[in-house]
Amino acid sequence: MMEKLYLVARIADTRVALRSRAIHSVVAVGTPVEVPAAPPHVAGLFALRSRVFTLIDPHVVVGLAPVTVIEGQRVIVVDVADHGYALLADAIEDVCFIDAPETRVAGKLLPGWARVADAMIEHEGASLLVVDPAHFITLPVASAA
Amino acid sequence: MDDLLNDFLAETAEILAEAGGALVAWEADPGDRERLDAIFRLVHTIKGSSGFLSLPRVTALAHAAEDALDQVRRGNRPADAALVTGVLGVIDRLTHLCGALGTGGGEPAGDDGEVIEALALAADEPASPEPAEIQLRREDDLAAELQAWRSIRVPLPLLDSVMTGVTDIVLARNEFARMLRESGADPRLIASFDRLSDSIAGMRQSVSQMRMQRIDKLFAPLPRIVRDLAQELGKKVKFVASGGEVELDREMMENIRDPLIHIVRNAIDHGIEPLDQRVAAGKGVIATLSVSARQSGNQIEIEVRDDGRGLSPDALVSKAVAARIVTATEARALSAKDKLELIFRPGFSTAAKITSVSGRGVGMDIVKANLEKIGGVVELRNDEGRGLTILLRVPMTLTIISGLMVRAAGQYFAIPRGAVREILLESSDSARIDCVGGGELATVRGEKFPLLRLEEILGLKPGADEDAEDRAIVIVRPGQGQSYALSVAAIHDHEELVIKPAAPLIMATGLYAGTTLPDNGRPVLLLDVQGLLAAAGIDASEAGRCHDEAEEAEAEAVAARKAAQLLLFRDTGGRVRGIRLSVIERVEEVPALALFESAGLVQAQIGDDIFPVHAGRLPEDAGMLKLLRLHDGQRVLCYPIEAVIDIVRLPDTVQPAPVPGLISGVTLVGGEPVELLDPFWLMEQYAHGEIASEARQPLCQLAGDADGWGENFLAPILRSAGYRVASADDALAGGAPDVFLTLSDEESLIADGVPVIRLRAAAAAAGPDDQSVYRYDRQALLEALRVRIGGGGS
Repeated sequence: MMEKLYLVARIADTRVALRSRAIHSVVAVGTPVEVPAAPPHVAGLFALRSRVFTLIDPHVVVGLAPVTVIEGQRVIVVDVADHGYALLADAIEDVCFIDAPETRVAGKLLPGWARVADAMIEHEGASLLVVDPAHFITLPVASAA
Repeated sequence: MDDLLNDFLAETAEILAEAGGALVAWEADPGDRERLDAIFRLVHTIKGSSGFLSLPRVTALAHAAEDALDQVRRGNRPADAALVTGVLGVIDRLTHLCGALGTGGGEPAGDDGEVIEALALAADEPASPEPAEIQLRREDDLAAELQAWRSIRVPLPLLDSVMTGVTDIVLARNEFARMLRESGADPRLIASFDRLSDSIAGMRQSVSQMRMQRIDKLFAPLPRIVRDLAQELGKKVKFVASGGEVELDREMMENIRDPLIHIVRNAIDHGIEPLDQRVAAGKGVIATLSVSARQSGNQIEIEVRDDGRGLSPDALVSKAVAARIVTATEARALSAKDKLELIFRPGFSTAAKITSVSGRGVGMDIVKANLEKIGGVVELRNDEGRGLTILLRVPMTLTIISGLMVRAAGQYFAIPRGAVREILLESSDSARIDCVGGGELATVRGEKFPLLRLEEILGLKPGADEDAEDRAIVIVRPGQGQSYALSVAAIHDHEELVIKPAAPLIMATGLYAGTTLPDNGRPVLLLDVQGLLAAAGIDASEAGRCHDEAEEAEAEAVAARKAAQLLLFRDTGGRVRGIRLSVIERVEEVPALALFESAGLVQAQIGDDIFPVHAGRLPEDAGMLKLLRLHDGQRVLCYPIEAVIDIVRLPDTVQPAPVPGLISGVTLVGGEPVELLDPFWLMEQYAHGEIASEARQPLCQLAGDADGWGENFLAPILRSAGYRVASADDALAGGAPDVFLTLSDEESLIADGVPVIRLRAAAAAAGPDDQSVYRYDRQALLEALRVRIGGGGS
């Protein structure tokens, strides 16, 4: 039943669902270390159990202004291509089974969201975007410039 | 049983890789007894363990190879190429079988008869036995086998988890130490904690070393690959590996293996030219392919260098346009570097045609992607026409390096200690900083370095609380022949750092070589000292900074250009001889049938021309023959050889021969005496009978040749003596005649002012005033011609 398990969180000012198998863990982060000259969505580095993770600010990825990381803020830890990343979350709501099927994204999304959203899912009377964390790691060429 | 089999497979795979390389090395030096013993032991080990697991095919193969090698050890059999090829065949079959065992779990059915037979066939000429040495060596074998037992195999994931565990312990220790200090604990407690702390540090060191392997292991299969491929393509390649002692994390090694092999194969297939092209380009026929590894600061550099044809940027562009990788418009905008880097585009292949070697679906794009995955980079250093060097730079991830912690704009960064040459304060007396045309220059004790400010390169604002007085200069030497001064806000301390690759998007900035977790638990970025240079866009090359050195380098280059080169070859007698390369026009390869004997001289027909050949007699065996074409600016002489060996610099000292002859002297090349041919003497031998070029040959006009004797009997002799002949009929066709040869007494046929030779039919002269020449007196006739007009060959 792992396929039906989702993490519902608020990232980049939007409630989304993340497939649980794509997620390593959810942790609280301290003050990250800046990476000078890195792409704008890199919010810094932090260490967790002697591993170094790269903190990604989803706000920048979807085209919003970057936010400041607050100590103790929760992050979603993911592994992409053998490297550890963490997505800055505004809030973590729940981990739950969602029985409803994933459906095609209906309606027009902002370009930033359209790139990261895989599908939509119905949960407790609301439509949530199902996003793939891996899409947050690389920035589209246009917005990186 | 499964565990046993897995162990066997892992061990055998390693042995086979090692044995292949060792065999090729042994083939090059069959006298190397130790190497032979080592190979024998390897094969013996496979035989032993396969017998235990009851793998009859593997056992039979290993036994056959062991047997053959033992015959060599006992001196019953010569070590030759056939034997090596046979044993390599067995190794290939074993590799294949082990692959099948790994996937299928059982030994597949099949027949290895032909492989074993090939090995046996090679042994039809047994040499006389010399058993004296054997007993002694047997004891060595035992000792070496005992050594091999002293290591064990550990699964990689286990090593990884030990490593992670230890790093966690270190972090916890640091946290604990801080708390202890703050709580003002009992000194006895602190002392015993320090002891614990020391042993943890020692353990961390050992665990890191457990994962390290000598890069030798990566190089081990290369000699075999080079040998096989060079043979297949008919090229001669000398393989040189160096820096095998450099240690690299095992995981990194796995990631570099395939790219490295691919690059080596590419170099032999595409980079190194066929033999004749090499000679034409003035290179040694034996190409050199060198692979070397070295530690450069925080990175391991693996350099694959060949002396082949290099890359041609224009050819790359036209190929890329043809393959629709770039459009013609895009291509025009490419810089020289971009053009070279076209080879990294997916779908690009430099091979004009798909050979059995290339076109395996692995391109340089995959090589590049594989390296980037582990935070490495690929660099090309192209010297068109002279060779290509491919540099793989991989971070020493998971290696512990000594790092210097520096501060800039309130943030800490690490610099690999190995790349740091010197540290000094900006305010120190020995350093001077000048602003020159917008750039900054640091002069340290007379030596000049370009100065970079770390904050500027990283785009940081200098910290407000930092005092300019404290600023320090770090003299960095990122690679051979490069150095620069890096100005930082402060130097913190030295620490042993565990380096891990940063995420690709951070590595892509080119400024960082990885991340590390120092004892305070906050990640620190490791600076890429080479990348900083690139970002700053300065030339850090040391060359030319100092006036004298530049001049010396220039003088050396001039001397190298002036140095005469010597072509080394093996002559038909099997002797190694040399001749100045500049007198060789080219090396011809002709069928033996093109040589013929005429008038006691061996001549060669090459195309439409006939050239003299310096040979006593015609070659006995048919087949192809190599001829050196000597050229003195006018004439050509062919010198038959067996093979071209190399082109070397002509040594300065030559022991001259006592008498002039074929050999002008003898010199030492690589410690071996080499006879030098005397081109002057050679040309002298064939100079007579040689015909001057047609335009300058004197024209003999025949006159009064009523019965055709002049045309039929006289003209051929004159022509072979180097004169042009015009008969009475085509008089004056070839321009004004230089001399008339008249066979009659009529005066009317002869023009004024041109010398005349009268030929008479009678042997005896008509009287004392008779100036005519008896027509069958060849000597007198030629002498008369020479007196009148000169010329003639003899």
